Amino acid sequence: MQNKVLRAAIVCLSLVFITSCTKKGQDVVVQLADGTSVKAANNETLRVNLTTEPPTLDWDKSSDTTSSHVSMNLMEGLVEYDFNDKELGLKPSLALKWESSNSARTWKFTLRQGVKWTDGVEFTAQHVIDGWKRLLDPATASQYAYSMFGIKNAEEFSQGKIKDFSQVGVSAPTPYELVVELKQSMAYFPYLLTHHAAFPIRADVVKKHGDKWTEPGNIVTLGPFKLAAWQHDNQILLERNDSYYGEKPSIKYVLMYMILEQATAINLFDSGKLDAVVNLPATELRSLKKRPEYKELGILQLYYYGMNTKVPPMNNVKVRKALAHAIDKKRVVQMLDGGEIPMSSWIPPGMFGYEAERGLTFDPVKAKELLKQAGYPDPSKLPTLTIGFNTNENHQRIAENIQAQLKENLGINVELKNEEWKVYLNSLTTGTYPLFRFGWLADFPDPHNFFSLITGNSDNNKTFWKNAEFDTLISQGASESDKSKRRDIYSRAQKILVEDDVPVIPILASVQHALVSTRTENFPLNAMDQRIYKGVKLK
Amino acid sequence: MSRFPFGLVLGWGLVLLILVAIGIDLSGFEIPSLYWPTLLAWTGVALAYAIIQQGVLVYVTKRLLEAIFVLWVIATLTFLLLRFLPGGPFDEEKALPPEVKANIERKYGLHEPVPKQYVNYLIKISQGDLGESYKYIGRSVTDIIGETLPVSAQMGFYSLLLAFLIGIPIGVFAANRHNTGWDSAAMIFAISGVALPSFMVGPLLVMIFSFGIPISAFAGLLPPALWETPIHYILPVVTLGVRPAGIIARMMRASVLEVIKADFVRTAHAKGLSQTLVLYKHVLKNSLIPVLTISGPLIAGILSGSFVNEIIFAVPGMGKHLIQSVTNRDYPLVLGITLVYAALLVFANLIVDLLYVVVDPRIKLS
Repeated sequence: MQNKVLRAAIVCLSLVFITSCTKKGQDVVVQLADGTSVKAANNETLRVNLTTEPPTLDWDKSSDTTSSHVSMNLMEGLVEYDFNDKELGLKPSLALKWESSNSARTWKFTLRQGVKWTDGVEFTAQHVIDGWKRLLDPATASQYAYSMFGIKNAEEFSQGKIKDFSQVGVSAPTPYELVVELKQSMAYFPYLLTHHAAFPIRADVVKKHGDKWTEPGNIVTLGPFKLAAWQHDNQILLERNDSYYGEKPSIKYVLMYMILEQATAINLFDSGKLDAVVNLPATELRSLKKRPEYKELGILQLYYYGMNTKVPPMNNVKVRKALAHAIDKKRVVQMLDGGEIPMSSWIPPGMFGYEAERGLTFDPVKAKELLKQAGYPDPSKLPTLTIGFNTNENHQRIAENIQAQLKENLGINVELKNEEWKVYLNSLTTGTYPLFRFGWLADFPDPHNFFSLITGNSDNNKTFWKNAEFDTLISQGASESDKSKRRDIYSRAQKILVEDDVPVIPILASVQHALVSTRTENFPLNAMDQRIYKGVKLK
Repeated sequence: MSRFPFGLVLGWGLVLLILVAIGIDLSGFEIPSLYWPTLLAWTGVALAYAIIQQGVLVYVTKRLLEAIFVLWVIATLTFLLLRFLPGGPFDEEKALPPEVKANIERKYGLHEPVPKQYVNYLIKISQGDLGESYKYIGRSVTDIIGETLPVSAQMGFYSLLLAFLIGIPIGVFAANRHNTGWDSAAMIFAISGVALPSFMVGPLLVMIFSFGIPISAFAGLLPPALWETPIHYILPVVTLGVRPAGIIARMMRASVLEVIKADFVRTAHAKGLSQTLVLYKHVLKNSLIPVLTISGPLIAGILSGSFVNEIIFAVPGMGKHLIQSVTNRDYPLVLGITLVYAALLVFANLIVDLLYVVVDPRIKLS
């Protein structure tokens, strides 16, 4: 009797159990947050690699490229880049038009009407103000808060000196007009609005969900895609936003994997699970370049060697010039064999202010002569120089190449030293290395972004170089709204930087390498490394 | 009245529960959410029963107190080492203006003096709060571990299971055919398993079973990466499992050769039992003790091996966070993951010690 009851109980339990099991997701079935799942059909799903878990989809707080590769598909700013323009101009996005007055100190934006957030609420200028207020609020602790410090009283608000946001120079006279008052003239101000830090936000949504407002189901956006699923550390699924105001994407889904190892991503690409792999391993470029799916495109990224101008022998401008003359950048680029562009000037090609001829050319005879003039007729008497770089295969290869060149062309001995990234950053701040590698990827494609790095009071200037004339030119350039006058100012600044004082030796402008599946059209490879998938078509 | 065999029911029930879980998982179904608490509760009850039954309550309590001490030492050391490491969590390529950095540091309590931060930290972990990640903004360390640890545990569990399932038979087989070609072949396999690093085994297996090099018939047989369906498990689990399998096989072989010479084995033979019966009934159980001894370190090996494995096969587990969090100077995440790993290791060793008693009744824990 007891046995029967037991057996019946076991059978019942097993039945309950079996029926409560659900089938696990196949490769294109993605579990949504609400427990349901969606089948992302292969022919309408673009599959890409994000590399890592995005640190946050909160566009006020994110400071990394991975996060922006997601949020730029969910949201839009007042303006966006026109990638068809050779010098990367701007085109309307949430703002239909914009104009400056008071010599680029006051900016007025006319906003698009009828734009709906994904919850149906209509977009207004107040959402932009809410976004900027949150960005600048000390409690938000946003890394990109400083990008808006050009606005009147914004910095003071961020420091907590001003508590009342209405004193900050931004206002909305009507729901579709935004007026911004700057601290000083700023010709490039609209460019700052392409950045996700300047995007509008729904303060009510953030308030309602707190830290979890970026989870699917909570997040409210207005871009071409919406967040359908986010399985942390695994994958993200974006779904076409059918209420998007612009031309709707032709693909229905974007499936984003988080595959750290590029070799693994290439394996998945080869087995047809990924449509694109961007940033290919440098050592495999030679073989990957031969493939029909291979693509490369220059990005606005400068790779340079800086010199600590405080310590001898680098405090002598002749030594610095000698080094600049002794390095053949073409040889570095040939060694890398990835289509990089050798550089002697500071502003990368593809940007307003680029001057191909500017800078010191490769000239070993002149280099030796300069070294002699600097008081080192016998180059072997020069104290051994150390090149610092952060641990990375590519940096190592470049440093070895430069080491060999300096030995060959100048006869000086150079040591190499690599450190883990954050240790390296710390060493640069304390001025450990006479010669060091560094780089810069444009925040916005304006020369100001590159020149302001190296001004006397910039935290990014690791060379300890200061030149009052240069600093003056840079602030003049920032406020000059006449394009040809501006070009002239920056040309003078660039001459001081790379021909007269030479605290830096530009090496190359980087190139992005990618494999893109043959079925994918219009994959977004662009100079700003923005991955906005709304224009992608699948064959 | 015969006593109800609680021990047997609990023990076999646990085995059954685990087997059912494996069955559901491998047949491509999601394990129901209620299953985990059931399994956990069952394990707890079984453990408690075993501890009381074996009279090792005092011993276990002592070991648990020691474990807490060990974890405290680890937490303190990790905390201090991180603070001594040059470079802070918010040092980036694009230097932050001081006021922005100050806002961020205030948010995470990094503006306080280090001793104060330490005390705050200890108070928080004693309340079970591991803090909020610096890198993954708005996500608590508990969330991150909770989302990634199950995947790592799943991979580690299968690898270990595979290691035992392959290693033990191979060891017994080799010992049984001592000094023959079979023995050598088995040991070549075992030594290769031990010697080859997973960053070589992994890509090699991918090459063979995903891309069909050199045997084109194997192309597309197994997916090269990801962790979606049971078929995705095969390559990562095999890659992670071959090393412990090799170690177990070698250990098992040596142990069996030892036991085979014992008097009770001769007696068993004399009774007229078949070789197979002698081997699997009498020799096997008595040979398992050395294998059990190395299980603790093996689990450590699986845990540390999982970092590389998770990266090679894009498995969404916890291993990669351990490395990346250090690179990012994400203090709370480093501390949280280190503590979890340490706790797992301490706990695994405790279980192994308790299992001795089961395998060899002569051993008494005190």
